[in-house]
Amino acid sequence: MNFVDRLLGTFLWLLSVAVVAGITHITTIFGLPAFMEQNPLAEIAARTKTGEVTLLPPPQADRPGLPFTDPAMVQAICPFDLAEGGLRLHAEPEVDRLLALSFRTSTGQVFYSMSDLAAQQGKIDVVVLTPAELEAVESDDDEDNPTQDLRLIAQDSKGFVVISALAEFPSEKAQAEALVKSVSCAVEPLAEE
Amino acid sequence: MSLDQAEKGRRTVSAYIILPSLFGSALGLGLLFGLFATFIEIKRGNGFSALIAGPWIGWPRSEVTEIDPYSRAILAYSGKRSLSESDAMSFVALTDSSGTRLDSACDYVLTGAIPRARYWTLTLSTPAGELIANPAGRQGFTSSEVLRNSDGGFEVRLSRHARPGNWLELGPSGKFILILRFYDSDLSSPATVLDAGHMPSILRDYCG
Repeated sequence: MNFVDRLLGTFLWLLSVAVVAGITHITTIFGLPAFMEQNPLAEIAARTKTGEVTLLPPPQADRPGLPFTDPAMVQAICPFDLAEGGLRLHAEPEVDRLLALSFRTSTGQVFYSMSDLAAQQGKIDVVVLTPAELEAVESDDDEDNPTQDLRLIAQDSKGFVVISALAEFPSEKAQAEALVKSVSCAVEPLAEE
Repeated sequence: MSLDQAEKGRRTVSAYIILPSLFGSALGLGLLFGLFATFIEIKRGNGFSALIAGPWIGWPRSEVTEIDPYSRAILAYSGKRSLSESDAMSFVALTDSSGTRLDSACDYVLTGAIPRARYWTLTLSTPAGELIANPAGRQGFTSSEVLRNSDGGFEVRLSRHARPGNWLELGPSGKFILILRFYDSDLSSPATVLDAGHMPSILRDYCG
């Protein structure tokens, strides 16, 4: 082995170290979110009854709950399973109270979110459908009488909605809770023609 | 032993010992460096999607902006994933405006500009995102609760001892963090440019 061979060998060795390091780094960075954690909200959703609005316990000091939750927000969760139909969510937000809705996949990723600012004539009507269900519903649409519903497509049939309302003052907690509970959220079978 | 045999022997050594050990060491060192780089990035970094304004670090809401893999990994590792999946655009401060870690042994004043939003909330929390118990039972302020000066500005005092005006009681636990959340703001849009002047500054008073 002469000098050039040795140099080439060392270079190749260093190159392979760098390649392995790069692959390891990229794999761990991409793999970490899936490996690290179950989304705590997704875990709660899996244990909660579907098609129903369930209030989440407010975050409290010295009691492990959902980390990084805003204590001024009253939160509720409504898991759904679109196997039996579409999810219909109806809310009548109050004037000047933040009502936020976020639609999530079963792993907790947000696929759509909105606030009461999106309400039309004081009402929010959302229908969550699978792509196949949307096709079926759209084929039944009456063209002269378009629907007022906001239609969302969920790629998976399972998921959940997080409904939250802001209590601007601690004394408004009860009102915020009442607003969250007034949201109806149920899976209903598609209308048969 | 002939010269030929010696050469053969050297080749065998090369094939069975040197080459595998070179291969193995490259693999081992590579794995080590790769994991180390990941560890450093997760522990110290903020990722490319983070918005940094003075002591405040914010992550765009994940459904508005595609978050880069580094930020995603960092958020997952630190348990802050819910911040980017929240209805609010959230900012976290771990340090005061001079870059020193927030410590409940000190007094702080939070004051200055605040970005426009329909509502905002300020929350005091442990570095793990849990609320801090305090006798006053106050964990933060909402934009409606905070007392303002005649010019609309405000000042929040953070201390273990009672202070006039907007007072947030610090717990005895030592390290704490502050979380600012903006609801219905346009801060999440990818075009947002923020610098320290747009966000409240956190000034350390005295420590004792």
